[in-house]
Amino acid sequence: MSPHWKLWTAQVAAILRLELKKTLLSRRGWWMYLLFAGPPLLTFGHSLHVMSRGSWNCTIGEDGMIYATIFQFFYLRLAIFFGCLAVFGNLFRGEVLEKTLHLYLLAPVRREVLLAGKYLAGLIAAIVIFGGSAALAFIGIFLHFGQGFQDFLWRGPGLQHLGWYSLVMVLACIGYGAVFLAAGVVFRNPMFAGAVVMVWESINGYVPEILQKFSVIFYLKSLAPVEVPLRGPLALIAVVGEPVPAWLAIPGLLVVSLLVLLYAAAKVRQMEVSYSE
Amino acid sequence: MSIVFDNVSRFYGEVLGVNRVNLTIPPGVTSLVGPNGSGKSTLMNLMTGLIRPTQGEIRVLNIPPDEPERLFQLTGYCTQVDAFPRGLTGYQFLYSYLRLHGKPDAECRQLATEALERVGMAEAGNRLVAAYSKGMRQRIKLAHAIAHKPLVLVLDEPLNGLDPMARAETIALFREWGQEGRHVIVSSHILHEVDRISDQVILLSHGYVVAEGQIQGVRSEVTDQPIQILVRCNRPHLLASRLFEQDHVVEARVDSDNKGLLLRTRDADRLYLLLNRVVMETGLEVESVAPADEDVNSVYQYLIGHDGGTA
Amino acid sequence: MAVYKKTYQRYAGTLTPAWSRAFIIPRYAFEEMHRKRFLNMFFLASMLYPLVCAFLIYVNQNLNFLKLLPGAPTQGFLEVNSTFFMALLGVQSMMGFFMTAFVGPGLISPDLANNALPLYLSRPLNRKQYVLGKMLVLVTLLSVMTWIPGLLLWLLHGVLAGNGWMGQNLRVASGLFFGAWIWILVLSLLSLALSAWVKWKPAAGGLLFGVFFVAAGFGAAINGVLRTKWGNLINISHLVGSVWVSLFEEPMNRGAGAVFFRVAAGEEIPVWCCWATLIGICLVCLWLLAKKIRGAEVVRS
Repeated sequence: MSPHWKLWTAQVAAILRLELKKTLLSRRGWWMYLLFAGPPLLTFGHSLHVMSRGSWNCTIGEDGMIYATIFQFFYLRLAIFFGCLAVFGNLFRGEVLEKTLHLYLLAPVRREVLLAGKYLAGLIAAIVIFGGSAALAFIGIFLHFGQGFQDFLWRGPGLQHLGWYSLVMVLACIGYGAVFLAAGVVFRNPMFAGAVVMVWESINGYVPEILQKFSVIFYLKSLAPVEVPLRGPLALIAVVGEPVPAWLAIPGLLVVSLLVLLYAAAKVRQMEVSYSE
Repeated sequence: MSIVFDNVSRFYGEVLGVNRVNLTIPPGVTSLVGPNGSGKSTLMNLMTGLIRPTQGEIRVLNIPPDEPERLFQLTGYCTQVDAFPRGLTGYQFLYSYLRLHGKPDAECRQLATEALERVGMAEAGNRLVAAYSKGMRQRIKLAHAIAHKPLVLVLDEPLNGLDPMARAETIALFREWGQEGRHVIVSSHILHEVDRISDQVILLSHGYVVAEGQIQGVRSEVTDQPIQILVRCNRPHLLASRLFEQDHVVEARVDSDNKGLLLRTRDADRLYLLLNRVVMETGLEVESVAPADEDVNSVYQYLIGHDGGTA
Repeated sequence: MAVYKKTYQRYAGTLTPAWSRAFIIPRYAFEEMHRKRFLNMFFLASMLYPLVCAFLIYVNQNLNFLKLLPGAPTQGFLEVNSTFFMALLGVQSMMGFFMTAFVGPGLISPDLANNALPLYLSRPLNRKQYVLGKMLVLVTLLSVMTWIPGLLLWLLHGVLAGNGWMGQNLRVASGLFFGAWIWILVLSLLSLALSAWVKWKPAAGGLLFGVFFVAAGFGAAINGVLRTKWGNLINISHLVGSVWVSLFEEPMNRGAGAVFFRVAAGEEIPVWCCWATLIGICLVCLWLLAKKIRGAEVVRS
């Protein structure tokens, strides 16, 4: 390994050490532990209750649809969205508010390396929290089927579903992470950008098909193994677009995320420290 | 190798930070002196890359400030900002940021321990920084700036909050580093301490460099202010009557103990010649003759004080 | 140093009444808000819907005006009833939510982050007055956005409609007033508590969105997994909507309409549960504020 890469690796490791302590292992991250624990506690609790009663009037397919609904409407649109907004939006903006950003800028670290280290730290935290939570909730919701769940998992499409859900989760963290990290660097208050993105993602299902492509959720929805139909009075005005194939959606999301990160790196290079409001 | 400011200006919108600054800062202890808002912190932030100049160029040991990966291997900056990452002890704070230099674990541990000992914080190193007093936080900031043994030290009001013992120890540290040939740039409002520690001073007012250099040299350039000389002798009234005949002597004030005479003159050389003659003629017993205003405080008052600055 | 010239005199003039001290806080908060163009524009934009409603009410009651419009109905085209006013309250409350998300986090968290609380509390101002002062900002804003235009429109329609309409629809007026106040209290206390808890302005704003939307989503997850309706207990919008429906409409006369507040038959949570949960939320917020609004912070190493 060239000396530059060796140095950068050591520096990214040092940044990870500092940031993960702040993000994952601090009391201030209590809300993340709630988001992590909530759905698995719910599904495991439900399964244990059913197993103790010995009967439940549903099938794996029905529970699979419920999980798919939770995944799409709770995890993707709410938990990961707000979680990534909070984690990544605060990577730089939080340091400015706490008046500690200058400590990083006064270290012999390239600013691009600093951005990469912080992004990786946020990504690891987000994937561990939300990916772990989703995987545990997946197991929890089917646990009470016993042998039926084993068959579904090892001999049926269960493992494949779990793999796709995990991939979607990771891609969501990568995509939203890049957007909100850039928002935290560029804007004084990344919450405004978050509010705009939230409103856009919420109405995405009701805009013309061509506009639907400008959305992270649109691509992630296409990759989910179980499609969830829209219900309720608003379903009448929904626009159902052609799903994007995986070979296009995955590299497309990764490329867009990389471009956003490169833009953020250019902005960080020009960043000045000003702690006044 | 020096720290060079080449026609540097920095504006905050329409507000002037510093304007047309041309400086070459040699090794040794250099003090930045000026009232609040004169541009001291702006200069320090410019030379460390925390802000960018609106125009002009800066080089620190031939490294531009927008190459932090090279600059901060050699530079340490102790800012005025009193904020620390949460949840870290003093030792952890130093160690964690030393790891950013890419140094191995053992070396970082050793450097962190040495830095704590240097600033007298070895015993408190395992307590949370949030629980420190103001003086302790100031010392840990200093430790952070010196831990990696930089060649250039930029210290923004480093004596703030320190008790007298700590101040004396810290001042001794600055002098030691200055004598080793490092660049130590200090900003301070405590002018008698600036006198003690500095090899040269830079006086700032309203974003402009008003004067720079060794204090005696700066004083000699201020020709519109008569030079003050204190003569300790046995018959000050006699000396006063003889000297006051001269047109270049504008003021003569006898000390309250009747053993000293404070003179203000426009021509020090002529005064010294005259003094010799008076001593020869009258047999005056002179104990000492010394300049009374070759210090930062006086120069500050002459150059900046009239603009409403604070001393 | 000896004191030999006792020239210092304490202030001997009149003092403002003690009860009025808390009003200093909202005065400065409003001044600061007024400097932000975005907030001014958002506030003005929030008045659009009531203005449109006022126009529609006027046109609906003004047959002469209707006759001027080609093809317009000769009788009123709009039924101004509890549904109409509930929809108004719903829209204005949503605007109020966004306004609170923009304004609320900046009320307490900067004071905590910049150690300004000791400066406030070392004056003749206690913690209750401090919180009351901060809350007055939100209460005033939200009142101007919700029940005040609502009651004015109710009055307008009552005057134009005549025939004792006001007497027959007193329940609507009380629904507007008390429904808005429930929303104002819950939103204000929640916003202030979160602002005090996290100390970061953007984080407090995000947490407010999280408490409303993420909790609602998790509530829906509970309902889905457990095949129940009690997940709605953590959906604040649902709770407030149910309370509004009970305030606006007679129990025996719950009709259709106001689709955003009404739940399917069999999935309603008892109204007393909704009230109890909302009161519980307010009490928790007050507890959080009491814990966080202090003059000094103790750090244990």
